[in-house]
Amino acid sequence: MKPVAITGLGAVSACGFGAESLWRAARDGVSAVRDVSFPRLQRQQVKQAARIADADFETLLPRAKPRFQDRTTILAVEAAREAVAQAGLGADDFGERCGVVVGSGLGGADTIERGYIRFLEEPSARSDVMAIPKLMTSSAASWIAMDFKATGPTYCISTACSSASQSIGMAADLIRAGIVDRCIAGGAESLLYDIMFAAWESLHVMTTTRCRPFSRDRNGMVLGEGAGIVVLESMEAARARGATVLAELVGYASTSDANDLLRPDPVGATACVRKTIESAGIDPKRIGYCNAHGTGTIANDQTETQALREVFGSAFDGLLVSSTKPIHGHALGAGGALEFIVTVNALREQIAPPTIDFLGVDPKLGFEPVPNVARAFSADAALSNSFAFGGINAALLVTLPGRG
Amino acid sequence: MAETADRDEELRRQLLTIVAEEGLVESREVGLDERLDEMGIQSADFVMILMAIEEKFGVYVPVDERLTEAKTVGDLLEVVCRHIEDHRAKVPS
Repeated sequence: MKPVAITGLGAVSACGFGAESLWRAARDGVSAVRDVSFPRLQRQQVKQAARIADADFETLLPRAKPRFQDRTTILAVEAAREAVAQAGLGADDFGERCGVVVGSGLGGADTIERGYIRFLEEPSARSDVMAIPKLMTSSAASWIAMDFKATGPTYCISTACSSASQSIGMAADLIRAGIVDRCIAGGAESLLYDIMFAAWESLHVMTTTRCRPFSRDRNGMVLGEGAGIVVLESMEAARARGATVLAELVGYASTSDANDLLRPDPVGATACVRKTIESAGIDPKRIGYCNAHGTGTIANDQTETQALREVFGSAFDGLLVSSTKPIHGHALGAGGALEFIVTVNALREQIAPPTIDFLGVDPKLGFEPVPNVARAFSADAALSNSFAFGGINAALLVTLPGRG
Repeated sequence: MAETADRDEELRRQLLTIVAEEGLVESREVGLDERLDEMGIQSADFVMILMAIEEKFGVYVPVDERLTEAKTVGDLLEVVCRHIEDHRAKVPS
């Protein structure tokens, strides 16, 4: 596939504000997972998450519109402003040649919850008149379009944990198809609230100890929140305005297991990774680093290991794999974008961030992801995987500029 | 000893009822050697079973390796019983 230029990165997560804060935390293995308490839950079993502290979130409010924007949107707009600033886009670079593809799993979860609680506590009280425009899943995408006057096609992809990776992939497709010159793309999620957290707990996929992807004795994931947004442009458009190309998006594919709503299927994951590499037309041996979906659940990590081993074959032993989810948490609809940003930085700095809290090799997997401490590598391509509930898989492949 | 055995027996009986109810199979059909997949118990039913166990016994059972490896009703009960016993040891009733 024709390479697409990546010219801007923006991230907001529990690791801090800014793509650089996210990258430093990932590289240095500094976890943002903290104790969390949901007072309305009578029986809170899981007591940790990578949640953005309220005091930090409040610093964003002076430049946001909280009456009209859910927390998810506020995080997304903040990340988009960072990405656009880094890309150096000016007023003339938007308009109808600029699209927006920003996904989310649940959209305005905070608004939904507050609405229910208020209604149940005081049924006669006036409801939040802005509830619907705040909670709709596409709200973040629309606010980003409004913020920059990007009047090209605006989409919101809501495919659980693959939302952001598919959004970035689809944005690249729109650019390659010549429909737009550039896209603001990524994902946002914020659902660490009482009712949503209880719903996640009931799936029993979260750990009550530590999230340790691919490790022996792992027993689940840890939730996070945030937004990751990138600016993608056609190589011609980026060159025409003299933009700095951070990396190139050279491969993208998505597949569906069409099998089970919760249990991942190695056939679907394998096909997704294989098609992604094939779409780039590069030798898998050139890929030095893979930021795995690596949730820390038994099922995902088994499936993903099987898929990588099958696709990479003899090159699997030379591939550095890590999951950075124990650091920024599983940010669901934002996860793919946060991890894509980590992947781009890993490639640019030639450093594979660590899989922290790794205890030792799981004999059933028989491989060691980069354990506990970052490791240097020398390669010009890197991969980022996302595998969602519902069996929706997406992967993105990047190279250093000029190497696609 | 007899008391512990009775308690174990009672616990197993309660768990079997939960597996049957949440897995939507008739309880008289549930035997310890029964394979979960052959009973049509899928990922979603598993989650229902774990939630019901949490409600009844107050113990959170994450989907860990032991649970993932459970092939029969007996395997499942073994894993869950261990979690419940660990929980009771930590939180005396």
